[in-house]
Amino acid sequence: MGQVISIQPVTRIEGQARIDIHLDDAGQVADARLLIDALRGFEQFVIGRPAEEIPRIVSRICGICPWMHHLAAAKAIDGCFAVTPPLAGQLLRELCHVLAHIHDKILHFFFLAAPDFIFGPSSDYSVRSIMGLVHRHPDLAAEVVRMRQLGLAMLERIAGKATHPVAAVVGGFAKPMTGQERQSLQADGRILLDFACRALNYAKQKVFVRLADEEAALGAITTGFLGTVDDQGSLRFYQGQLRLMRHDGSTVDFAAVEYNRYLAEWAEPWSTAKMIYARAWDEFFSLDLEAPRGVYRVNTLARINVCDRIATPLAQAELEAFRARFGRPAQGMLLAHWARLIELVYACERVLELLADERIIEPMVRTPAEPQAGRGVGQVEAPRGTLIHDFTTDNNGCIVRANLIVGTTHNIASMNMSVRRAAATLIAEGQVDAVLLNRIEMAVRAYDP
Amino acid sequence: MNREPVIIAFCCNWCSYAAADLAGISRLQYPGSIRIIRVMCTGMVHPELVLKALNKGAAGVIIVGCHLGECHYIKGSEMALARAEIIADTLEDLGIAAERFQLVWVSSSEPERLVAAFREMSERLGIGRALGVKTPEAGQ
Amino acid sequence: MSGVALPRLCCEWLHGCSGCEVALLNGGDLFLGLLEQVDIVHFPLLMDHKCPDGPEGNPSLPRAEIGLVSGGVASKAQLEVLRTMRDRCRILVAFGTCASHGGIPALRNQWTTEQALSTVFHGDDCEYSSESESKGWLDRIYAIDEWVEVDLLLPGCPPRPETIVEVVAALAAGQQPQLTEKSVCEHCPTVRTGSGRMTVRRFLANADYEPEEPMDSMRCLFEQGLLCMGPVTVGGCGGREMPLCIRARVPCRGCYGPVRRQGNQLLDLLNILASKGIDHRAIVDRISLLRFSGAHGLLKPNIQG
Repeated sequence: MGQVISIQPVTRIEGQARIDIHLDDAGQVADARLLIDALRGFEQFVIGRPAEEIPRIVSRICGICPWMHHLAAAKAIDGCFAVTPPLAGQLLRELCHVLAHIHDKILHFFFLAAPDFIFGPSSDYSVRSIMGLVHRHPDLAAEVVRMRQLGLAMLERIAGKATHPVAAVVGGFAKPMTGQERQSLQADGRILLDFACRALNYAKQKVFVRLADEEAALGAITTGFLGTVDDQGSLRFYQGQLRLMRHDGSTVDFAAVEYNRYLAEWAEPWSTAKMIYARAWDEFFSLDLEAPRGVYRVNTLARINVCDRIATPLAQAELEAFRARFGRPAQGMLLAHWARLIELVYACERVLELLADERIIEPMVRTPAEPQAGRGVGQVEAPRGTLIHDFTTDNNGCIVRANLIVGTTHNIASMNMSVRRAAATLIAEGQVDAVLLNRIEMAVRAYDP
Repeated sequence: MNREPVIIAFCCNWCSYAAADLAGISRLQYPGSIRIIRVMCTGMVHPELVLKALNKGAAGVIIVGCHLGECHYIKGSEMALARAEIIADTLEDLGIAAERFQLVWVSSSEPERLVAAFREMSERLGIGRALGVKTPEAGQ
Repeated sequence: MSGVALPRLCCEWLHGCSGCEVALLNGGDLFLGLLEQVDIVHFPLLMDHKCPDGPEGNPSLPRAEIGLVSGGVASKAQLEVLRTMRDRCRILVAFGTCASHGGIPALRNQWTTEQALSTVFHGDDCEYSSESESKGWLDRIYAIDEWVEVDLLLPGCPPRPETIVEVVAALAAGQQPQLTEKSVCEHCPTVRTGSGRMTVRRFLANADYEPEEPMDSMRCLFEQGLLCMGPVTVGGCGGREMPLCIRARVPCRGCYGPVRRQGNQLLDLLNILASKGIDHRAIVDRISLLRFSGAHGLLKPNIQG
């Protein structure tokens, strides 16, 4: 084999990764891989821990989406101990979940992804960042930072600790919401919704105009999609059934507890991150760019593709416009950014919807639990995709077995395809420069890994 | 490192330290691996001191206090007992063999009992019998 | 970018979760203010400064006055990054609990790296297994001060945003940052009477309190019979205000690490139980008391294997 070009580290993503591009002697791309070193060992070291402690341990899988792990685990442990949280407890959990989506989407879009589009991939690296945004567009940067702050402050008011949270507990939630808190949250929620709508309009005018060109520069991949919907087929973040969609648009719905029948794990010898493929399609697994097998995507674009509708009006209107333009399923790699902002609007609308429910301030927020043997599968939609926690407990209520499928794991296969496609499209005769390599990173960044 | 293995003995000022004195006066021999640290009361020996000694390379730690009910400060021996239970239970959790720790009661008039306890611990850890003594894993 | 050269700030992450970096961003306006006081020269989450391996195999990081390293050390590659950070940064800060004490990932130290690899990759549902990458891992998770000299520990999981900004600003101004050395309890407003239930129970039902009443009318959670790590954990999680978990009416689990740098949260807590006459066997899982501070050799593979 000829030369290997490394992008180390991949930057402006929410974790550690590198890209290795292998060129043959003629300078053509022979292979390109996204490498994520991810032996954290959570599946090992939760063994023996009392199950009620798990939600506050596994939150440390990710510092950007700790709420997702916290809540997926809380739901799974409810299952192990066979308790059902009171309605107010469930509403509070979902409220926190949706709020956590909001500040994450603002972070990803404006801090990490948008600089590529606002300044262009060929701008200098010292400019192409949130720091650059602060210097060049101080008003926009200040507003983005404050809105994110507002979402976090709301979370702290409800749940005490916003990063690596503790408030979701087996059987429900640790503290009820007071009427006064609810009023102040409603006021703040309206500010966020207003910002979300303006952000989407801003992006359509200033950011997404570059999308088609950049998309063309990267090339295309064709995959299936996985997301969560309710029994009406509406987009859901916190609970619902999983929907797996093939590239032709055909779908199959299933309950999270059955994930093993529809999805399977696979470890490539060169990767320390497991990959997952759609077992339900009976075609095994291949990363072949022209004829991939078993590969699907999760996260924003996937959710927007698999849902039939969005149950809140402003987001529904945006979904219709998006579909009219890009079809269903939309395959463009960078469309994940657009989908992200549609989800931001949905999340803000959903916050107000949840706060409008009188029952959210009921004082009964937790059902006391008894440790027991059992199995529980908890699933939520994290910003980076479907998250599944699967725990089994012993008679003493301690963990004996754990399996965790995080959003990024679903996407490892498709991210590798994207990287290979982008590298193959962009690199000719071994010629690379910083701009070209950043474009390859943009293909990864869209996944928000 | 090829150091002589050492057993740290926390001895109470009012009982076992006096017993050690008496052992000396009486020409009773105990193993050279024993290093006595005098404390005012074994009730004050924090479990962390025991762990620190073991992690720093001591082969064993023995705490020698007054018989229950005979503490100079009334409740010190009960405290030492409660702490010893903690130490015994957690050493294995922390990856350290429980046999490396022991609590015994010795009054100031029982030097033979003290020396027997020292010998017994030393032999249990296989120290001083032959060359190539077993050294439990040394700390950093 | 500005005329006056600002002190340079270099950030790297090792075996962590990026929560510390996000906490810095969570400072909001404070973070924006910090950009006036330091020049960020390397920060993988936020900017495209690359650090490919240099000629000697170590990453090419820029020189800086202040270096923040989050996460513990789990692999040889991370160790190289850490050593290079030490070499290039005048002041090196252990950023967060993982870097300071190992953090949650150091719970893995209860098993060998091989055992953990085999559990993660040989699960029932994984159809093919990979061993090829195992050679890059160290034998356990280390705190960074086990490998290099560290000038300041800034613990927290994550550290409080205003504290991070204050610390970096103080260092940039050439001052010694002031961090609390008191326990969580010293910052906790709940009511302590010195008596209480003589047991520790699992957190399976909520604490006893009136939601509409202020926090200083709630009885201390420890005295309510709940296991709370407040007494053996250094404070600061609530900034100048009350501890964060207490705000959620949830007991502390020790995320800031021990009160004294070399402390052992497990032994300290059991010692408190002993002095109160509470049977420590009521705790179901003692190892969990070291869940944030299992580096420095405190957690080891179980000798029974």
